[in-house]
Amino acid sequence: MKFNVHRPLLGALLMGVALAGCSNESGKTEQAATAAPVPPAFELASSPARHRLMSASQYQNTISHIFGSDIAANAQFAPLQRTEGLLALGASTAGVPFGEMQKLQRAAALVAAQVVDDGNLDLGVPSHRDSLIPCKPADDKQADPACAKTFLGMTGRLLYRRPLSEARLTQMVDEAGKSAVELKDFYAGLASVIEGMLISPEVLMIHDRSEPDPERPGRRRLDAYSYAARLSFFLWNAAPDDRVLRAAESGELSTAKGRARVVDMMLASPRLEEGVRGFFDDMMAFDTFDNLAKDASAYPAETGAALTAAREQTLRTIYDHLIVKKGDYRDLFTTRSTFMSPELGPIYRVPTPKGWVKYDFPPDSPRVGILTHVSFLASHAHPGRSSATRRGKALRELLLCQPVPLPPPNVDFSALNDPTSPFKTARDRVSFHLQNPVCAGCHKITDPMGLALENFDGAGQYRATEMGTVIDPSGALDGKNFKDVVGLAESVRNHPALPSCLVRRVLSYGTGSAVEREDRPLVDYLTGHFAEKGYRYTDLLREIVLSPVFYDVTERAPEQKSAAATN
Amino acid sequence: MKHSLLASAAAAALLVAPAAKADDTAPPNRTIGYVVSGLYWAVYQTADGKAECPDGLNDGPREHFKALFPDNGTKRPVVDTQLKREAEGYFPTMTEEPFTFHLSQSKIAKGLNLDGKADDNDFVSPDGEKGIDNQLFRVLGCVRGYRAPDGDAYFFDNNTLITDRYDRWLFELTDVDSLVNDDDVTVTTYRGLDGLLKKADGNGMLAGGSQVIDVKWGGRYVAKIKGKIKDGVLTTEPTDVTFPWATFGVPTDREMRGMRMQVKVLPTGGTGLIAGYTDLENWYRQTLRSSSTHHQAYGQVSLPSVYRALRRAADGHPDPKTGENTTLSSALDVTLTQVHIIHPDRPVAQADEATKTAEAVKERAGARR
Repeated sequence: MKFNVHRPLLGALLMGVALAGCSNESGKTEQAATAAPVPPAFELASSPARHRLMSASQYQNTISHIFGSDIAANAQFAPLQRTEGLLALGASTAGVPFGEMQKLQRAAALVAAQVVDDGNLDLGVPSHRDSLIPCKPADDKQADPACAKTFLGMTGRLLYRRPLSEARLTQMVDEAGKSAVELKDFYAGLASVIEGMLISPEVLMIHDRSEPDPERPGRRRLDAYSYAARLSFFLWNAAPDDRVLRAAESGELSTAKGRARVVDMMLASPRLEEGVRGFFDDMMAFDTFDNLAKDASAYPAETGAALTAAREQTLRTIYDHLIVKKGDYRDLFTTRSTFMSPELGPIYRVPTPKGWVKYDFPPDSPRVGILTHVSFLASHAHPGRSSATRRGKALRELLLCQPVPLPPPNVDFSALNDPTSPFKTARDRVSFHLQNPVCAGCHKITDPMGLALENFDGAGQYRATEMGTVIDPSGALDGKNFKDVVGLAESVRNHPALPSCLVRRVLSYGTGSAVEREDRPLVDYLTGHFAEKGYRYTDLLREIVLSPVFYDVTERAPEQKSAAATN
Repeated sequence: MKHSLLASAAAAALLVAPAAKADDTAPPNRTIGYVVSGLYWAVYQTADGKAECPDGLNDGPREHFKALFPDNGTKRPVVDTQLKREAEGYFPTMTEEPFTFHLSQSKIAKGLNLDGKADDNDFVSPDGEKGIDNQLFRVLGCVRGYRAPDGDAYFFDNNTLITDRYDRWLFELTDVDSLVNDDDVTVTTYRGLDGLLKKADGNGMLAGGSQVIDVKWGGRYVAKIKGKIKDGVLTTEPTDVTFPWATFGVPTDREMRGMRMQVKVLPTGGTGLIAGYTDLENWYRQTLRSSSTHHQAYGQVSLPSVYRALRRAADGHPDPKTGENTTLSSALDVTLTQVHIIHPDRPVAQADEATKTAEAVKERAGARR
């Protein structure tokens, strides 16, 4: 997509950016939704209304929030296509094919059965129905429309993210009643309706509905429930809870002041952790871990448990740095603070007691920032050896939003794969690449920074040598030369594309729409504010979700709608 | 855990270490920890078993029961048959039964010379060393359950060691200036609390894991022993030890008197022998508690017969009153895996993986070659 900006007003928009810069020089840091005049970049931008497929983690979190964390929801969603750096954008064009729907129905049936189960005290299994259903039927072998209406109305509102219409609710109560009579079980009747809800397109798809914006004639905004859903799936990686829906019902989300209160509440919630993890898991392409396999003979320490822990380590580090410590985003790439688990101990060669513990790498350690975490190093390497190219490419694409062209189809790897090859280190191999003009074009933009990570093998373990030759970890990134990984970390940390890339990704992730070249003024404006606020992640989130670009929408053309619907 | 204190702690440890004395093989902070990751009663076997068991292997509970109570139509109450045999296991006597128990006839046995003598009752080691004391092997050598690779005791004792955490036996070597030659090192034994880490391919244990010492319940497992390393082999002075042991999840202790080690040590682990005098009653009771009759039947371990053999073969620590020996010379094949041993009352050492770890030491040595 491109975020819709009125062309004739582009000049004014750019002026607005400049003005914003001036006003910020005064040192004022007004909260966007409460005081400062909204600059044109905000005023003019909007995002397309979308139909997005809920992700597996969003489904899991939603079930957990509504019914409790002990309800297992093993729903299997088909892998999404990574688009413009994010799986979340792939969700905007994904559908649910029949085979996947069957799996989702099985998961839904299991969830429904758990919700209404009576437990088994002998086995220590609690009765879920007693805690989740707020009423008792007069006869649990018969239909009870009143009780069914109470429960289904309450549950349906949370699953559908808006109150059920009276007609819809009546239909559901009738269905529950018919099933109860047929099965001679009130709770089985409820379960059949819950199962149906859980595979409803209106539940599985996050559908943006819009309405005219009364404050800005001629423009459209998300209706309050769609805004609530967009907010919640973005900030909490789950459907909105009762408090957010009440804010939508009361009209509070339709006012700037009300939106600010709700957003602040959501940013202060423990559920923010799921939102932060969901975003960075996507941005860092950690879905790679779902299928990542390493050569066990080459890397005996790289067990499946270690790879799972590696992903978790980085997500914990990110959450701790950005949210708990309220740290500067850029410092994620130079921080030596992290967490350690027993599975990772042998890879980092660190003593580690049971569980997750905070850990600081020594000041002279080569481990500096999340690029030196096993998660990055192992997932961007070959199964049995490191890869300066893959690491450099990942750095460019994931963190700096700089796409690297795909290699040509006729690459000749024979010289590199020759077992009698004289190349001992990655630097030798890369040098060979650079001799070939066809290869050199791309390798020049990936390898110099990847070489600085060569002190870490394909498993992410430290090494001083490769095949008996001392590794030279010097490198360069866009004109900055460095002698080792510490220099690389500093260069990445100070790279101007680092914060703007995060802004692009956050904006895309939150709205479900890719940021394009035409959106640069908006990105520049947000990046400028991000800088002024000290690169604090929650400030960026707050600014984006309270901006018109997040709640103002442009409806897609009818033909595009039909194409999406058949996807 | 206060990892944040560690840089200074590690630096301080290095400062007090006599760096000039240490060689390239010295572990970080002159300390290296190992966890026992393989432990088998040492049974010397030939390919066909005929040398050590010319009369074949011993029968077990199933065969003995069939001989005692043949299926000839006689009706016998359970109390006089199955329960009687169970009771004979729990209350063993020296009264002979109509079965021949085959002791190992091998001249060769794994083990150490525990008493400093070489007499007729001793074995010769596979390397030709005389005076090897291992009377437990004499008893178990022809019992199927203790023979590799598929004896049930042989398998399950070690399977439990890997899957359970109770029998986590740690050895911490301190004052180590060289893993090749050091005439004065200290070995301290502990019980650990953590699981073992397997290698990614599932074959063998992974070095570099961590073990927290059981300071709450593990006091009886702590022993401080003097030792030395010569040509990469650690030997220790005799010490009485108690060590954790579990089979089939039944937690017990083993008592070994005059325990000593002879283990080839490396930065990533070690292999060798632990030998000493095993307490007879302790060994028998532990085995009885851990293995029900059906397990004994799998391995043809007839415990009433084994008990009598143990009593006859016992060669150590005579009872002051009766003069009867109460222990048997014995040996265990041991495999050690390197771990970081964490003392709960101390800051966790902070490894500098680039310069101080055992792996880095090994790697630097390799680079120089």
